[in-house]
Amino acid sequence: MRRGFSQTPTAYLFLAPFLVTTAVFFFYAFGRAVYYSFTDFNLFNTPQLIGVKPYADVLGDPSFRRALGNSLVFAVLTTTLQTVGALLMAVALNNKIRGMSFFRSAWYMPSITSSVVITLIFLWLFQRRGIANYVITQAQAYAPLLLTFLGVLLVAQVVQVLLERARRLPAGWFDPALAAMSALVALAVTAGLAWAGVVGVREVPPFDYQYFADKWIEVGSVRVLSIPLLVVVIQNTFTTIPTLMLFFLAGLQNIPGALYEAADIDGATPWQKLTRVTVPMLHPVTFYVITVGLIGTMQMFDQVAVIGTAAPGDTLITLAYYVYTNTFKAGAAPVNMASAGAIILALIILAMVFVQRRFFPSEAQ
Amino acid sequence: MNKTLLLSLAVLAASAAQTAAAQTTIKINGYGGTDPAVVGDLINRFVKPALAKDKITVIYEPLQGDYNKSLTTLLAAGNAGDVFYLPAETIDGFVATGKVLPLNGLVSTGPFIKSLNTAFTKGGRLYGVAKDFNTLTLVYNRDLFDEAGVAYPNNNDTWATLQTKLTTLKQKLGSDYAGICLQPNWDRFGAFAFATGWQQFDSKGKTNLADPRFVEAFNFYTGLARNKVGIQPSEVSEGWTGGCLKSGKVAVAIEGNWVVNFLRDNAPNLKFGTALMPKYTKTGTRGNFLYTVGWAINSGTKNRQAALKVLNILTSPQVQQYVLEQGLAIPSRTALTSNAYFKKTDPGAVNSRLVFDGADDGNVRAFTFGPQGTDWGKPINEALAAVLSGQKSATDALKKAQADMNTFQNR
Repeated sequence: MRRGFSQTPTAYLFLAPFLVTTAVFFFYAFGRAVYYSFTDFNLFNTPQLIGVKPYADVLGDPSFRRALGNSLVFAVLTTTLQTVGALLMAVALNNKIRGMSFFRSAWYMPSITSSVVITLIFLWLFQRRGIANYVITQAQAYAPLLLTFLGVLLVAQVVQVLLERARRLPAGWFDPALAAMSALVALAVTAGLAWAGVVGVREVPPFDYQYFADKWIEVGSVRVLSIPLLVVVIQNTFTTIPTLMLFFLAGLQNIPGALYEAADIDGATPWQKLTRVTVPMLHPVTFYVITVGLIGTMQMFDQVAVIGTAAPGDTLITLAYYVYTNTFKAGAAPVNMASAGAIILALIILAMVFVQRRFFPSEAQ
Repeated sequence: MNKTLLLSLAVLAASAAQTAAAQTTIKINGYGGTDPAVVGDLINRFVKPALAKDKITVIYEPLQGDYNKSLTTLLAAGNAGDVFYLPAETIDGFVATGKVLPLNGLVSTGPFIKSLNTAFTKGGRLYGVAKDFNTLTLVYNRDLFDEAGVAYPNNNDTWATLQTKLTTLKQKLGSDYAGICLQPNWDRFGAFAFATGWQQFDSKGKTNLADPRFVEAFNFYTGLARNKVGIQPSEVSEGWTGGCLKSGKVAVAIEGNWVVNFLRDNAPNLKFGTALMPKYTKTGTRGNFLYTVGWAINSGTKNRQAALKVLNILTSPQVQQYVLEQGLAIPSRTALTSNAYFKKTDPGAVNSRLVFDGADDGNVRAFTFGPQGTDWGKPINEALAAVLSGQKSATDALKKAQADMNTFQNR
């Protein structure tokens, strides 16, 4: 390196493409949205400043209130489910088992598939005559056999374990060898009963549940979560767990093995190792995963847009979708309200991250 | 030598420029689906031959998906066609953009059905010429009426007599069948509200849902659901009332001419008949919706004259006759009322004639939502859904709807 030659211009030169795009597509766009949210802009007129009326209109709009409720419920629920799920999945995949790389790849599949495609598949799964209802119908039809099998399995296992213990032999409730024996017994008993005609497949009417309808889970007559949104929650959890799992896997690699050895020497159970060693050590990763999860779920849009009119309007509307529908309508549209909605959404996400930083420090304890 | 070359080159360049200037291309934006084939056919058959001597070519550019949204973005970016479909449903929003050319004095509207011209007139200015249209009729399943031994709905039915027929039919046929399918939506219910003489917007542009006439229509419509005489499409696993008819479980649906091809394709053995909308019992007046799409011209077009020529050909008698006889749509010229096609007696042609007749019988209004767009219908739809599914009483539902409507209109 020559003296007197500063590296700064070179750095900026390399950063320029990103700085320019960020400046144009983020800062300039954000500034315009803030400006529009105080005007009477309708996409075609010359904006005139009218103060905070758009914000008042947005807050008075039942659709917006529904969108806000839906977004918050969706964000909290999905983030919780996907964080817990990703952690458990990561712990499960952190073992040294043969074929582990296959499982890792298989688990990762849903994340690389386009969300539009996955949404269409889920729409199809949850139709009235879709796979979900078909599986439930079959489960109902085979319930007698399944319940017989499980019941006998349970009884056989309890009897075997008690016999072993009576013989002063150590036997856990989930002893695999005994369980295999119990399963054989249960299979034989079920087959025998089925052959004797005691139990059999029932005739049940097809389970006919409409998932994409105006149905709500209510808590004290307050509509909390609609069934269509629940389907989207399930789908979103399913598609985001793998990505978040990777973060946790990376975090797990960094936990010193000595800690687990020490825990083993102290006689810790697997559950204690998970809650007392793994979870605290993953604190920084968890913070990151929750932040990313909250931001992502608050901005959820594509699934709702794809389902579109397949579900009644207010069951799925989210804040991002509210902004979109108020911008692109038919001709002149309340773009000022859409902008105000977008700004409110940004503030909510900002507040969430701030609260998290304030009360859940990202450093490991 | 050089000079001659230069001169000849100059002449060549000039003539090339001239042909380029003389060759105008008119772009049309319209729906996707089957429209590209239909309009493409019209363009090749009628427009191109007529305009070839004027050096005008025409291309049709369909907007797939949500037409209103796509057209909005094109208009905002200045890339929309010279001529485009203008749905009466969303006319207010598009007129507010200032991108639609007023046609007063540019086209003659005399030959077209009056109510259709009204549908495209805003503030005394005409913004579109109806391409074709649809109204609502009572479409019924003959077999179910025969089985129940009840007379078919006819053009003299009032609300009361229709209700009696439907109730009797339901009693005779039992729990597996229903009298009528009711969509919890303004797009069907509104026709009943108009029959009473109720106005969508008062002189101040406000909507009054507490008006006794509106309440009466609301109570009649939702009252049909009592004892399961009327059901919602979802109750027979259908998405719309045409689907109810197809299922063979429901005797009557309120639908337009679009249901004919749907039934032909999906329920070919179903014998259906058509009657006009029932009359409001007190005054004997019918109410109806006009669902119509017009041809409009982009106010920013560089080829106004050429665009006007194209519009005039697309709405000409020859084109409209062709459209009617191909069974593509119900055309908008009054002269076609005497067309031979309407004299036919097959169920499809009968339905077409009654849809055509419905356009100027009683209180017929365009299916539209006013200056604030489609969200106007939300409070009404919510009220209908809540009452039809038995979640609320009509009084409570209407009270909430009026409150929501006021919030919406005070924006």
